Amino acid sequence: MFYSPVRTNAAEVAQSNRLHLFRYVEDPEQVKVEKFEEHGGYVAWKKVLAEMEPSQVIEEVKNSGLRGRGGAGFPTGLKWSFVPKDSPKPRYLCCNADESEPGTCKDRVLMERDPHAIIEGMAIASYAIGCHQMFIYIRGEFAHCADCMEKAMKEAYEHGHLGKNIHGSGFDLDMIVHTGGGAYICGEETSLLNSIEGERGMSRIRPPFPAIEGLYSCPTIVNNVESLASVPHIINHGAGWYKSLGTEKSCGSKIFSLSGHVKQPGNYEVELGFSLKKLIYDKDYGGGILGDKKLKGVIPGGSSTPFLTPDMIDIKLDYESLVEGGSMLGSGAVIVFHEDTCIVWVIKRLIRFYRHESCGKCTPCREGTAWLEELINRIEAGRGKPGDVEKVEEICGNILGHTVCPLGDAAVMPILSTLKLWRDEWQYHIDHGKCMVKTDFEFK
Amino acid sequence: MADDIKDKVKTDVPTVTFTMDGQEVTVAKGTTILEAARSIGIHIPTFCWHPKLKPVGSCRMCYVEIEKWPKLAVSCVTEATDGMIVHTESDKVKRGRRATLEFLLLNHPLDCPTCDQGGECELQNLTFEHGIDDSRFDFQKNRFTSDTDNTVFDDKRIGPEIILNRNRCILCYRCVRANKEAFGEYDLGVYERGNIAEINAAPGQQVNSPFSGNLPEICPVGALTSVDWRYKMRVWLAGKTPSICPYSSSGSNILIYTDDNKNLIRRVTSRCNDDIDDGWLSDITRYGYQIANSEERLQTPLIKKEGKQVEATWDEALEVICNRFKEITEKKGKVCIGGLISPSLDNASLYCSSKLFRTVFNNNNIDFRTDYRMLPNKPDSYFGMLCNRSFRITDIDDSDVIVVLGSDLIREHHNEYLRIRKAVNFNNARVFSLNPYSVKSADVAQAEIVYNIGTDEIILVAIGLAAIEMGLVEQGLAQGFKEKVKLGSLAEATEVCGVSSDDVKLVARALAGDGKVSVIVGELITRSHGREAVASALFNLSRLLGIDKKGQMAVLARYANSRGAEKLGLLPIPTGAQVEMLKAMWGKFPDAEPQTTDAMLALMHKEEISGGLVLGGNPIMLYPDRQFITEGLEKLDFLVACDLFESETTELADVVLPMSSWAEYEGSYVNLEGCNQVACQAIKHIGQSKPAFEIIRLIAEKIGTSLFESDEQMATEIEQLLSCEPDNATPDNFVDVLPLSEEVDPDFPIPLCICDDPHHTGALTQKAPSLTNFTGEAYIEMSPDLAARLEVSEGQPVRVESPVGKIVMPVKVSKHIDNDVVIIPRNFSQIRVTSLLMRKKRVDRVRITKVDE
Repeated sequence: MFYSPVRTNAAEVAQSNRLHLFRYVEDPEQVKVEKFEEHGGYVAWKKVLAEMEPSQVIEEVKNSGLRGRGGAGFPTGLKWSFVPKDSPKPRYLCCNADESEPGTCKDRVLMERDPHAIIEGMAIASYAIGCHQMFIYIRGEFAHCADCMEKAMKEAYEHGHLGKNIHGSGFDLDMIVHTGGGAYICGEETSLLNSIEGERGMSRIRPPFPAIEGLYSCPTIVNNVESLASVPHIINHGAGWYKSLGTEKSCGSKIFSLSGHVKQPGNYEVELGFSLKKLIYDKDYGGGILGDKKLKGVIPGGSSTPFLTPDMIDIKLDYESLVEGGSMLGSGAVIVFHEDTCIVWVIKRLIRFYRHESCGKCTPCREGTAWLEELINRIEAGRGKPGDVEKVEEICGNILGHTVCPLGDAAVMPILSTLKLWRDEWQYHIDHGKCMVKTDFEFK
Repeated sequence: MADDIKDKVKTDVPTVTFTMDGQEVTVAKGTTILEAARSIGIHIPTFCWHPKLKPVGSCRMCYVEIEKWPKLAVSCVTEATDGMIVHTESDKVKRGRRATLEFLLLNHPLDCPTCDQGGECELQNLTFEHGIDDSRFDFQKNRFTSDTDNTVFDDKRIGPEIILNRNRCILCYRCVRANKEAFGEYDLGVYERGNIAEINAAPGQQVNSPFSGNLPEICPVGALTSVDWRYKMRVWLAGKTPSICPYSSSGSNILIYTDDNKNLIRRVTSRCNDDIDDGWLSDITRYGYQIANSEERLQTPLIKKEGKQVEATWDEALEVICNRFKEITEKKGKVCIGGLISPSLDNASLYCSSKLFRTVFNNNNIDFRTDYRMLPNKPDSYFGMLCNRSFRITDIDDSDVIVVLGSDLIREHHNEYLRIRKAVNFNNARVFSLNPYSVKSADVAQAEIVYNIGTDEIILVAIGLAAIEMGLVEQGLAQGFKEKVKLGSLAEATEVCGVSSDDVKLVARALAGDGKVSVIVGELITRSHGREAVASALFNLSRLLGIDKKGQMAVLARYANSRGAEKLGLLPIPTGAQVEMLKAMWGKFPDAEPQTTDAMLALMHKEEISGGLVLGGNPIMLYPDRQFITEGLEKLDFLVACDLFESETTELADVVLPMSSWAEYEGSYVNLEGCNQVACQAIKHIGQSKPAFEIIRLIAEKIGTSLFESDEQMATEIEQLLSCEPDNATPDNFVDVLPLSEEVDPDFPIPLCICDDPHHTGALTQKAPSLTNFTGEAYIEMSPDLAARLEVSEGQPVRVESPVGKIVMPVKVSKHIDNDVVIIPRNFSQIRVTSLLMRKKRVDRVRITKVDE
């Protein structure tokens, strides 16, 4: 039925008056503008155009407590307010749909199944910051998402939600669907901007931040798909309603992409502050560990966040609790590993990814990830030499905090985390030339 | 750099004060820690940072520690702020730098013994400095293998003069950034990513811009090396001599590397002068030195005996010269000798020539403008006034509006082209390019206006009329302006020029604004005889819009010492002030009729001038009417030619004297802004050649007059003349603009422009092998449309005919040209392009036909 038949908790969301993003994602007609409008779509957009000043929209989003869902968790309304009011330059909005963090697949579902929600959110954000040209930058591999967005955009133009003098308000807004060339780095906002400009996807030095000098050196806001998709709901139900969701500092709901050794991997929208244990074990969500084995570890926020161990299973999934627990909420990709997982193997798989995706700009990341890959391959294959583990640790230290963008940090943080939590396993590879855990099935 | 920062502090820019290694430092706000450190002599190592490029902070070598900062800071992109406490040599910093070096060396081949960069390699130096003597990397190094050339070293020739070795590359991206930012070229790029990222030429392209030679120079390692210097010698064994470029009128500061055992120049690099060349050299400057090493150099004097030039000694040659000149003057009087002097010669040579003609031959038959046509003979032309205006290269940097009229800068003024790019990149300058055909260097322009050829002055009038029409000027001025032009309305003027009035209004609005303005008039104007009309139109426009009050406008001098020639009184009629000064110094000044190049040639035809001296240059090749000058010189009873090489001109000479190149003696040159710079002697004289000034002095002595009592006297006299500042005079009121139009012969419909090739200048550079590697033979450049109509494609020969000549040459199709104008470079003697030209025409026109092979 869907291009990506991923499991969601749409049924639960439909019953709830608190969850909202996934309400119609199992409805195949939702991609059409008529159905979307029937479900209350573009109401917020019309309301904003008819009744609200841009500053009111920013204020509303600020008050809602919405924080960026792409990984860093920066307050969305506050980011919008950084756009200089008096700049004579045009402003731009870029929706970051370059969803590439291993384990994350939430934006893909939204783009495929509810694209108008994103367009509506983008339009409201554009109005708030005074932008008349918005972009959605879609990961190169997501060709089907780009198709969906293109179709939806066309419909939105036809129904007068985009274009000149929208709904008689005098506000003009155009949209461009831009696909990437297939680079993880372009999910980093400044690389994304370079990529749209036709430059190589490489990060820029900040400051100046994009809100001051971004796309074509003009004030630019870059927001994640999920953040923008939440905006119409905030306008419709009010900032107070949104703030009442989740925890005090982590407001609203969030989509978690659950993957790894669980029985029911999928995308689940839950309120922030949801229990990790419930997400993994509840029959409505993960449904427990594959083969009912014991849990070994969890990456809670995408491959670049440090691991959590089984003793932290009761942790709450919100920005603050996870930082307290030594990790990060990141993009909300929960990856579960059971007891038979070789942790060195996991890292080997991850470093291969980061080495492949390093853009080549900063020396430590460019050279360091490749060196790490060689070393870790050797250790994993049981050919590690004494001192290799220490060498890995030292190289990680030489990369951490030494690069322009966070890719270098992302590559080494999970490694450093496993070195802390499961050093014995690393050492076992060196000492015995083989793995400590018995892996009973092959996964590639 | 240091001076830059001090200057910033001096002016009213807000400052910040912070502490670095215990020293208190005050710098302008916005200064990076790295710049601040360099200003007080603290060395912070770098790879990707380059003083002329925007910092990117990618190599991670320039770490510093800032107290209270959690991470090491990258000093090239971190601005200093008040109260910062910075440590540049702490243990943490050293550890960080060592880590970066370790990373850089992982895949570096360490082939230092055979690497051309050895001895001047920044990676080698920093590794040495940090004492890294072992590698912890025990894997196979990454290896690129070239599919074309030498696979062991991955040597790949990516341009006529550049060899790339990707294995040695440390991916600092300096080359790609410089190519894009400073030169506006996209022929070099980065491919792939991560540690297999590689620098390479764009697929199917050659790295062959006129600035490509800078790329090996800014490469910190041996990844980009130049064919020219490669494997010639080890850098530490080379002698180094500071010098000045003998080709560029801005006088790029260069360093000449010599092999003193073999008395050869090995290479030329930049001796960065922020005020003049900004650290970039054009390929002409960089490779043009090769003419000095050429084996074709004239070694001894030659005397024509029975129609054949035979080798002779200096004494014999001087004897003949002296006798023949005396003979002629006795027979016909002293006005019978004329001189054509090259403006690429140093001050002493130019001044000696002037003194020889004016005091010994007692006439005013001397000119250095041998490639201009129809030069006026009256002293106070508007064009002359325009030439005598001050101009500063650095003022381009902060100009808000730059107008380039009649010049493809990339063919004439490379340094100024880069300055303009810089003004656009760093100062958001708006550039307008006004030309009779679309030029390559207009890529920086906000608007390019292509007007009908031969309407150069009308386009200036149109700009004025546009400003008036838009109400940007006051009534009184508008009235005065309009009275002097024959065209009533903007529409009429744009119709004549064939341009859109919107474009003209854009320029008018920019010029009428408050921003600082630079107006540059190029060679398409100066060489044509529309120059007087253009100069008067420009003065009117300046009066109307106040251009000279808010900026500068100038005709850029063309050759290494054209400005010097003007200042030293080499024009047939020097300015009043110069004549006064010369009278005082010499005690006399000839009252003979002054003769320009054109006038002298006409007198040669009439046999009123029978003796000639050509000092440098090759007038037959460059004068825009080959038949006229050849016949003129042939009619002479006696011709002396001094040059480096045999040429069309020396062939006609009765005596040929071998001249030394600029590198063989110390000489000073005045650049286009009037700055006097010294080029030191780098090598010994080749063969029996002598510097031009010495030749002139020897001739004078042989004739019986010593030009100077001592060398000091010569130096003092030159210094005195050079001290004359430009008078910046403008006409007192609006002046008449006299447009000059001519009938078009329908048989010869296509306008022809003669230019320099971007890799050549004048007649000499065809002797530099590296430059002929870029372009070795003449071509006729035309639009794709015209080529299609002629049914020819790139490289196919066509016959080009004018009423006076006919030549055959291959076609070059240039996408950027979009009208029916063809361009032929004048730098190649095989093609006698000047034989198509007629000196009395404002616009040369030709007929082009396909040659059936």
